[in-house]
Amino acid sequence: MNRLLFALRSSIGRKLVMGVTGLLLCGFLVAHLAGNFLLYVGPDAYNEYADTLHKQKLLLAIAELGLLVLFLMHIYLAISTGKDNKTARSQTYDRKQTKIESNSQGIFKAWPENWMFVSGALVLGFIILHLIDFRMEFRPDITYEGKEPFEKAVMLLKNPITATVYFAGTLLLGVHLTHGVASAFQSLGTSNQWTQKCFKWFSIIFGVGISLGFASFPVWALFK
Amino acid sequence: MGATTDTSNETIDLTIKVWRQSGPDDRGEFRTYDLKGVSTHMSFLEMLDVLNEQLLAGDEEPVAFDHDCREGICGMCGMVINGQAHGPDRETTTCQLHMRRFNDGDTIVIEPWRATAFPVIRDLVVDRSAFDRIIEAGGFVSVNTGNPPDANAILVPKDDAEQSMNAAACIGCGACVAACKNASAMLFVGAKVSHLALLPQGKPERKQRANDMVAQMDKEQFGSCTNTYECEAACPAGISVENIARLNREYLRSLLPF
Ligand code: FES
Repeated sequence: MNRLLFALRSSIGRKLVMGVTGLLLCGFLVAHLAGNFLLYVGPDAYNEYADTLHKQKLLLAIAELGLLVLFLMHIYLAISTGKDNKTARSQTYDRKQTKIESNSQGIFKAWPENWMFVSGALVLGFIILHLIDFRMEFRPDITYEGKEPFEKAVMLLKNPITATVYFAGTLLLGVHLTHGVASAFQSLGTSNQWTQKCFKWFSIIFGVGISLGFASFPVWALFK
Repeated sequence: MGATTDTSNETIDLTIKVWRQSGPDDRGEFRTYDLKGVSTHMSFLEMLDVLNEQLLAGDEEPVAFDHDCREGICGMCGMVINGQAHGPDRETTTCQLHMRRFNDGDTIVIEPWRATAFPVIRDLVVDRSAFDRIIEAGGFVSVNTGNPPDANAILVPKDDAEQSMNAAACIGCGACVAACKNASAMLFVGAKVSHLALLPQGKPERKQRANDMVAQMDKEQFGSCTNTYECEAACPAGISVENIARLNREYLRSLLPF
């Protein structure tokens, strides 16, 4: 047991846990997106889904606690490995240039893997806003009372500032995922030269898919 | 007489901006030198030799840099050239880099490997003994002494042998650490763990090896891998990041009770 704890504190152990928590959070994203798609089916379907979900009080509490723990672990590990990575190079280079050919041109200079911490932090900010809007129902400019979940969602997303923030937030989430998913599989040691390419593509498709899926809701709400 | 060949571009004039640091405790700084008439047929290290001649003639200390084989096999000659470990060419060490890769009038910025685990000893020379300590921690197989075993007594599948040899091509130069934004040594340790773990002779000690080498790697204050793969692009021996995945796997396996 001691050995396990020691190992989980090592650089590889921490990356491993970070990968696992990240992938589990991705699982949540898929479920969340699937539920949201009921918005497109219509108010009845969506309201019924929301009601059934909210009736499972105990299950919901456990799920929420689980998610919170996953988030906190993922964030803690990002900060702790990030700090160590900074210490690993106390003096920086005067000039630094990539040797990865595809990364050295144009927009690819800003390839997502270099922005994981920043994109992660921004996504966290977005999630907090999102929780204030939908979970805590704490927006002063919105009257939540007496409204069905469908109505609430449309009302919130119709606000142009909210729509912009949600659109940008979900796109950033996509950027984070395009590197994160493949990276998690590598940290789990599952890749070889061939599967690595597959994971990379899967990661990009997954990131773009999740991103576009969620980003479609604020756009849809504008036309409601 | 036929047409004369144009030889004007066989020598180039350069500005060399190089890191000067008189010792481990010195703060260090960049100094800039003009170097005229550098033959494009020279290797990068020969260019530095010429620069040092010029410095000596002007009563200045020559630039200290590590080198040994000058054949691309010993891994001593690491330095960051214009922001790239071992310069612009792929799978090429600094000693195998030629001045024809540069243009007349170029400014070349030369820096030592930058990593907390590789402290600068002087100018471009860094202390890479952190790598040695990682190897000492587990990068070996224990064998009984005595008569040599029969050849082919232990059969090795060709695929395994090949992957192992590919990993064993690592020359321990440290370019992976230098190129990594986190100064991580995962490619190096991955190669060293892989080339033994893939062979039957290395299997008995595989758990201990992965564990001990990673523990030492962390102790030396190398960063962790964020899977950016700059290491692979900078590696003069063409070591694949597949070895990092294998290291992760070996490490995970070392935690299992069976
Ligand atoms: S001097 Fe030996 S590899 Fe360059």
